[in-house]
Amino acid sequence: MEYVSPEGLRLDGRRPMEMRQIRAEIGVVAKADGSALFEMGNTKVIAAVYGPREVQNRSQQLNDSALVRCEYTMANFSTGDRMRKPKGDRRSTEISLVIRQTMEACIMTHLMPRSQIDIFVQVLQADGGTRSACINAASLALADAGIPMRDLVTSCSAGYLNSTPLLDLNYIEDSAGGADVTLGILPKLDKVTLLQMDAKLSVETFENVMQLAIEGCKAVATYIREVLLENTKQLEYRRGI
Amino acid sequence: MVGLSIGEKHFIQGGIAQDLRSDGRKRLTTRPIYVETGVISQANGSARVRMGATDVIASVKAELGRPNALQPDKGKVVVNVDCSPTAAPMFEGRGGEELSAELSVALQCCLLGGKSGSGAGIDLSSLVVVEGKICWDLYIDGLVVSSDGNLLDALGAAIKAALSNTGIPKVNVAAGASGDEQPEVDVSDEEFLQFDTSRVPVIVTLTKVGRHYIVDATSEEESQMSSAVSISINRQGHICGLTKRGGAGLDPSIILDMISVAKTVSEQLINTLDSHIAAAEAGEEES
Repeated sequence: MEYVSPEGLRLDGRRPMEMRQIRAEIGVVAKADGSALFEMGNTKVIAAVYGPREVQNRSQQLNDSALVRCEYTMANFSTGDRMRKPKGDRRSTEISLVIRQTMEACIMTHLMPRSQIDIFVQVLQADGGTRSACINAASLALADAGIPMRDLVTSCSAGYLNSTPLLDLNYIEDSAGGADVTLGILPKLDKVTLLQMDAKLSVETFENVMQLAIEGCKAVATYIREVLLENTKQLEYRRGI
Repeated sequence: MVGLSIGEKHFIQGGIAQDLRSDGRKRLTTRPIYVETGVISQANGSARVRMGATDVIASVKAELGRPNALQPDKGKVVVNVDCSPTAAPMFEGRGGEELSAELSVALQCCLLGGKSGSGAGIDLSSLVVVEGKICWDLYIDGLVVSSDGNLLDALGAAIKAALSNTGIPKVNVAAGASGDEQPEVDVSDEEFLQFDTSRVPVIVTLTKVGRHYIVDATSEEESQMSSAVSISINRQGHICGLTKRGGAGLDPSIILDMISVAKTVSEQLINTLDSHIAAAEAGEEES
């Protein structure tokens, strides 16, 4: 199948180096300490952060750092065909783990010993790149909760189809069987915190694809920063400073 | 889950007794309601409803299936509710399952009537494509994103909004199939049939706190309840279903009194909901 037309357009009309439209909103869950909605095209996720608070299960308490927990859930209606048994399958457990590890790397856990931070991500619509969208949403939610972080984590995926590197794969491109690189970076520190790839690629191509993903992450970081700044301005305005 | 001091408890109970609740509402006033339709583009219909800090999403998905052998002239509707852990950390893992099941069953009996499907708020016979062979299966999924009491009413409202947002594809059945053969169908992706939602009921929950009962309770108020009665009522004023939750017993005469109060409240709710749904649909078409 042809994923990039001879004119250089993808199935959804994007250019190979073009990202889907992204949109973020802060404070979507009133009861949570921090929350955010993140959309990448048709992919839509909500993240909610509870904490830092007392450790619920005493045996898990860490005396020198905060305990970070994460749960990833997909809504029944999030996929094209309705899902029957979504809870606790291997895929969600793995994604929960990936998100937890990525967020743990940026939270300054040593400042909050003997406490617990819960990150819950809920996928409302899945159209490829849920992993990236979840990390971006979690990052925003943590910032909204005022949890000390070294840097924002942002994530984006890139792939390689029809000998073209493609940025931000959607579901059809993702399931096409080509390589899919999911990357997470700390934009200010310029460090990679998450890197996953399936399928095989030559080293040179991989370099190009990864470079593309890094560019994508940086674009997301710029947008997230804008959203946070706008939110802070709103808060400032409301407090009447 | 809600941690309240004795003083706070007295404050809430006292406020209800004096007809002035902690957020300034009277006993029978509901919170403002916000409706947004078409939030899930992959579904046939969807809606998001917010009441204060309660936030729920309902989606309707239609799939072609085979009608039940006992009711060849009726389609099937399944209601399922999930509580997302984003709403409260206690819903993590399997923690939300009990509440999800309680809400699903309550909605099922408020919207779908009994096992036979007669008296259902949703007209099941309109879902049949070929009698005895093909019908639409409607999967109604509710998701609780944020919870601040009165989940059942919010879910009921969201489902009503999602159903009026639902477009079921028109099906052309190829003629010539006879006997036990499954006829071939052609599902149109351009023409959609709108669903008649005028008979879909709304749910009004009356929560009894002390000697009085209130509508649209917040989670703080719900923590003080002795019992709650959820009544689903349609536009014609018919009671479509009823569930009682909570341990304490109720005097039969109070229940009858509650029903008549719920009826007046439901009239207002249906009117506000209908105008909100119409506004949301109009807004969606514009954008």
